[in-house]
Amino acid sequence: MTPRPGRSSRAPGSERTRAALVVLAAGEGSRVGHDTNKVLLPLAGRRVFTWSIRWAHSLPQVTSVVLVIREADRDHVVRALDRELPEVDVRVVVGGSSRHESEWKALQALAPDIRSGDTDVVVIHDAARPLAGARVFLDVIDAADRHGGALPVRDQPALTTLEESAGTVRLRTVAVQTPQAFRALPLLEAYTRASTDAFVGTDTASCVERYTDVAVRCVPGDAGNIKITFPEDLFLAERLLAKADWDLSSLATRPTPAREARRRRGG
Amino acid sequence: MTREFSELTCDRCGLLTEHELHYAGRLLESVRCTSCGHRVVLSHQALLPAYLHDLEHRVLTKPQRMYRRVTRDPAGFLVGLPFALLRQPAKFARELWSLVRR
Repeated sequence: MTPRPGRSSRAPGSERTRAALVVLAAGEGSRVGHDTNKVLLPLAGRRVFTWSIRWAHSLPQVTSVVLVIREADRDHVVRALDRELPEVDVRVVVGGSSRHESEWKALQALAPDIRSGDTDVVVIHDAARPLAGARVFLDVIDAADRHGGALPVRDQPALTTLEESAGTVRLRTVAVQTPQAFRALPLLEAYTRASTDAFVGTDTASCVERYTDVAVRCVPGDAGNIKITFPEDLFLAERLLAKADWDLSSLATRPTPAREARRRRGG
Repeated sequence: MTREFSELTCDRCGLLTEHELHYAGRLLESVRCTSCGHRVVLSHQALLPAYLHDLEHRVLTKPQRMYRRVTRDPAGFLVGLPFALLRQPAKFARELWSLVRR
């Protein structure tokens, strides 16, 4: 089999996978009053957006980082990066008016690396999810490199659809989280075509599914990977970080209910 | 006590509104929706142990953080050190005051 142009000959899912991390921190647009972006809020001594970059960057697979911001936040962001992530080389890109446009701008910044084969996988993450640990980043990078695309999901058993006649569960309903990862070249091609068609997707996967035949796999999400939306989420995020000793870089397998029960029994 | 403002979704309004956030040290102490006044407060029983746990972590990681600063900017670190040391008692007094006055 002939290797694809711009793709190095290496085993998919290996430690040699080179992933670019795109962190979306441009916010949603409607601004009032003091206008502070929630991802710039302090959370346990750091800004919300720097936590997840820290965990992702602890992986050898993550070789570059692009942070998508709003122009108004630039000074604040640059100061926070200098103080909290001095060891990480972060490319700062100004986002657009929608999530899709922000992703497109980040991909344009990464395009030379992708076309030259220096980036195999692109990981797209919402900066408002500071508790995405190294494990979930590794899982999506690995699955995307093997299959094409990967999304972390959590089962929502309370939101299933019942078949009226039989009263049986027909669908498995899941909540989709970020980070989401995709092979870099098909992702860039999908967004280039979307730009030509003026298509605006609701999320990364919708654009990939529309323009490519790349398989998108689900990987287990993490209950702790919360999105900061409500005030209570900030309190919860603080507690979860403290419970993890402010360290989510561990690649240890997540505790499953069965494993947790065994641990409690001392087995 | 430090104060920040940010847009969050209010539980009561159900809208994206401006919120006022108060911190005791690094810990979030209360959040108030500036639109409807709805306030979420961390209880005193929860705040004190959380503060002590956080303070322990701050103290234990201080040498590592100081080392990072001194390696990045030795001159700036040395110039700023006396002022930083002088600021610490007042800083901790303010934090403790914000905990006990509730």
